[in-house]
Amino acid sequence: MNEKPVTVTQINRYINNKMKLDEQLSDINIRGEISNYKTYPSGHSYFTLKDKNSQISAVMFYGFRQYLKFEPKDGMKVIIRGNIEVYEKNGQYQLHAKKITEDGLGELHIAYEQLKKKLDDEGLFDESHKKQIPRYPKRIGVVTAQTGAAIRDIITTIKRRYPLCEVLVFSTLVQGDLAKFQIVEQIQKADGYDLDTLIVGRGGGSIEDLWPFNEEIVARAIFECETPVISAVGHEIDFTISDFVADLRAATPTAAAERAVPDIKELKDKVKQYNIRANNSINEMIFYYKNRLDDISNKQLFKSPTHIYDIKRMHLDNLLGRFDYISKNIINENRNKLFKLENSPVLRKPDSLIDKKKERFIRNLGKLEILNPLLTLKRGYSIAKKEDTVVSSVKDVDEGDELIIRFDDGEVNTKVI
Amino acid sequence: MNDLSFEESLEMLEEIVNKLENGDVPLDEAIDEFNNAMQLVKNCNDKLSSAEESIAKIVKENGDLIDFNVNE
Repeated sequence: MNEKPVTVTQINRYINNKMKLDEQLSDINIRGEISNYKTYPSGHSYFTLKDKNSQISAVMFYGFRQYLKFEPKDGMKVIIRGNIEVYEKNGQYQLHAKKITEDGLGELHIAYEQLKKKLDDEGLFDESHKKQIPRYPKRIGVVTAQTGAAIRDIITTIKRRYPLCEVLVFSTLVQGDLAKFQIVEQIQKADGYDLDTLIVGRGGGSIEDLWPFNEEIVARAIFECETPVISAVGHEIDFTISDFVADLRAATPTAAAERAVPDIKELKDKVKQYNIRANNSINEMIFYYKNRLDDISNKQLFKSPTHIYDIKRMHLDNLLGRFDYISKNIINENRNKLFKLENSPVLRKPDSLIDKKKERFIRNLGKLEILNPLLTLKRGYSIAKKEDTVVSSVKDVDEGDELIIRFDDGEVNTKVI
Repeated sequence: MNDLSFEESLEMLEEIVNKLENGDVPLDEAIDEFNNAMQLVKNCNDKLSSAEESIAKIVKENGDLIDFNVNE
């Protein structure tokens, strides 16, 4: 026995070298589930790989991690290729991962992705191909296994929600190699049954169990189906190819039944609401017209029909009053004029006017008398006329002219000598 | 009007109720429409209560329809 003590470092290094040399611990594949996955700023990832009973610390250095095509996540089932080594600082052994692949669906996963891309490129998933799911179906078809939870869930849900609908079951295998052929056959058969909606699916299971719904012929049969299709493959997280190509995707068979039929309780409520609304609006309308009618019949005219005459009467009275006033005015005016005329001095003492005229006449007569040449004659003057011309100058007469002399009391013929 | 499907009845009912609520329908027409609405309400309710229990049948390979009982 070697009594000489060794250091901790020495023993850890020794163990590490031993392990490195062990072919059973180098470049091996380990199957397990990832947990506590964490990437540090250095780019190295640290996690635990575990199975039901045991676990091992693991590290993937950046040099390897950078080539990973996917990001590992907690819960992921993987197969890791790597070595078991000792971390000498704490004496713990750990898995140094070089390569990580997802466990179980390597090939299937690739096939899935390839088919998905192919059908997507062909336009089979386009929204434009999606048919409307009838809201009030009379007949629904279900393509699924006649045994199993899926068909029970669907029928129970439809009976509960919408008993008006009939359900036709087209039974098929839903897993195994033959399933895809039967599923296609039953979809095509169901399409000839004058159905409103077709539910195609099965309950939950492993990726292998669900695989028929990722088959190309099933996807194409759903696409070709003239009846609107609801896919109902029981797995909530991932999609099958059938889900993408169906007119509507439901996560479970129960959800598919709920999407396929309305709820009769809601419909009864709806009809009730319409009934109430129709009654309310007609009552409102009648109330409105009744009010209008009341308004009109409450007007004065209808309350006392004579009122309309009263108004006319008032108008007439008013006119009469005005007429009365105006005519009285005219009469008064004329009466005043007449009164003035009657009382004018001319009419009252017509003599006084004559007297005045007489006085004036006499006065003027006196003036005239003063001017009268005959009066001059009375005072002893006379007028000599030659022929009919008054002689007013000696020069106007010649010897022998005959002159007429006018006196006050007569004329004499004379001769100038 | 009795020949209408449930869906058609419900749609017509909805249309009439909206029309009545709009309020610009003459009274005579509104009363006619209201009577139609009441008939449709009856249709819908008749149809909704007529179904006792939906029938589930399984389609056999030879095309026969056989009652399908989920409780079996």
